[in-house]
Amino acid sequence: MERFEIRRGRRGNSAGLLVTLALHGGVLAAVAVAHGKEQPPLVVQHDYVSAEMVKLGKPRDKFWLPRITQPPPPKAPPDTLKVSEDPNAKAAPKEAPKPEDKTIKKDLRNALDRARKLAALAEPEDPDEGSLSGSALGTSNQAIGDQYLASIKGLLLQNYNLPAGMAPDSIPSPPEIRFRFTDDGTIFDVKLTKPSGNPLVDDACVDAAKLAHKVPPPPSTFKKRGISVACDK
Amino acid sequence: MMRRRFCATVVAGCLTLAGAARAQAPSGDEDLPAIRISGAGAELLRLAVPRAEGDGESARTATDTMSKDADVSGFFQVLDPGSFPQQLVGEGLAFSSALWSQVGAQAVVKMKASGGSLEGRLYVVARGDTPTLSKKYSAGDVREAVHEFMNDVLQSFTGTRGVFGSRIAYAQTGRGSHEIAVVDMDGGRNAVVTKMQSDCLLPAFSPGGGDIAFTSYLRDNPDLWIVSAAGGRARRVSKQPGMNTGAAWAPDGSIVLTLSHEGNAELYRISPADGAVRARLTNNPAIDSSPTFSPDGSQIAFVSNRQGSPQIFVMSASGGAAKRVTFQGKYNQTPRWNPDPKKPYIAFTGRDERGVFDVFYIDVKSQQVTRITQGKGSNLDPSWSPDGRLLVYASSRGGLFVANPETRHEVQITRGGAASPSWGPAPRH
Repeated sequence: MERFEIRRGRRGNSAGLLVTLALHGGVLAAVAVAHGKEQPPLVVQHDYVSAEMVKLGKPRDKFWLPRITQPPPPKAPPDTLKVSEDPNAKAAPKEAPKPEDKTIKKDLRNALDRARKLAALAEPEDPDEGSLSGSALGTSNQAIGDQYLASIKGLLLQNYNLPAGMAPDSIPSPPEIRFRFTDDGTIFDVKLTKPSGNPLVDDACVDAAKLAHKVPPPPSTFKKRGISVACDK
Repeated sequence: MMRRRFCATVVAGCLTLAGAARAQAPSGDEDLPAIRISGAGAELLRLAVPRAEGDGESARTATDTMSKDADVSGFFQVLDPGSFPQQLVGEGLAFSSALWSQVGAQAVVKMKASGGSLEGRLYVVARGDTPTLSKKYSAGDVREAVHEFMNDVLQSFTGTRGVFGSRIAYAQTGRGSHEIAVVDMDGGRNAVVTKMQSDCLLPAFSPGGGDIAFTSYLRDNPDLWIVSAAGGRARRVSKQPGMNTGAAWAPDGSIVLTLSHEGNAELYRISPADGAVRARLTNNPAIDSSPTFSPDGSQIAFVSNRQGSPQIFVMSASGGAAKRVTFQGKYNQTPRWNPDPKKPYIAFTGRDERGVFDVFYIDVKSQQVTRITQGKGSNLDPSWSPDGRLLVYASSRGGLFVANPETRHEVQITRGGAASPSWGPAPRH
């Protein structure tokens, strides 16, 4: 009896193994067929973001006259090192710390310290003006379309400057350029593909790409390594 | 036979692979994603003004005048001639675009001056070695010839001729009495045209530029006087009791000003010949002053405190109901309408929330207010250039300043006390 069951069990195991193999084979074949099929093309939405930077701050009173918003002044350059013309000259001695002026009384020093601390706490003369819902770095109020192309557009616009006073009719048709970029975003091979008829306008369009130097590294979904740009006024 | 079939199969396979590889290779320009950028910034054009050829004094004057004109226009960044290599300095009227591009110049003006005549050439570096403009000028003096050349240069770049050669009248202050003076828009030929030794204020150029109306306290009353722009004896035109101030010339040659002989400061139209009152234009318990005409002469902008603080209003040139146009700021005054009909702007002096006076302009159509000056003392009494592209104003920094609102480029043209400038008409071409 036991032997019979054992024999029947062996026969059942073989059949199960065959069924399992067949099923796995079928699944693998289905996967292989599915992978073998041509993938639908990746659709990249080419609408770019029209973003507006909303700065954090107190909204300006609408009945006040406007102020000119200026970028912050550039940081002071680091102290330049003075190089002696004489190569054998001795190194200049380190500047000794200035001795404390003993004539200043302790209470006066304390008062000065307090004044300095108060000055540091005082509000800046120009408090930030903006939106209460903004951010210190600015936020985008729209997020549609292809963010990558939008970021490239923003970079090019920062460097797109036409000669001041140029009449609109001096640009018969907008010039077009194209440029390529590497995987890390470095721009190269900037070419004017459609001149406007005004070389100063063409130069401004080409310079917009050349001065940008780099675009952000393209995301994996962005397969192209170049952009065509039309430059309107 | 088998070997031949094998080779054919290998070749066919290679061709198939090559085709597939080509399909995977970077595509042509036409397949690239396309974007369009607009809203270009305005950049000053880098202009080189090498020393003019010709006789010593004329050449020096031509070079200096051209450099100053280019600066005042607010469209150019004049490159430092000290940075030009020797081979470019000695180039003469010839031109090498390759060399000038190395200096960073986008355009170069070449001049040859002799007496009052001038040969001028404009080169655009990107256009090669052929001049964009080449012309000979003959004028009374070399400065005038250079102004003419500069006007043509502006025409070449912007499509609109410049107004160099036009003059600005202003009240010269700070020496006890105030006199009316006239100066070229580049700061040259600064001359006092009144010698009344009293307070002379608020000059206004006539439409033709031959006369200047102004207010003087010579007879212990703020009367309206007219003097020739070339100087000479002034004549008293309006001597109504009280105010005879803030004259504005209408395109038809009549004058609108503030009179207070009927008790309150109102706007009237008078004859410049004898001061006879032709019409009363406002009738309001408030003070109405500082009239300025729209380019076609159909409207008048003026200041009134009829709604509380001084604000700018607009009404028909024949009077009637007035419409308030400024709503930002609590103290707006001295309006000046842009003479360019395509720019519906009124420049004015505004006091901001910090109590500082600065120059602004409002787009009458969109109500958008744009600030021109900020953080540089007090700046007052703007007046548009005849082409509507520049503004002159007096500053507490001392003197008159000219600014280009498009580029915000600002140049000081006179030093010393100055008030209420009035820009005269464009020079005759």
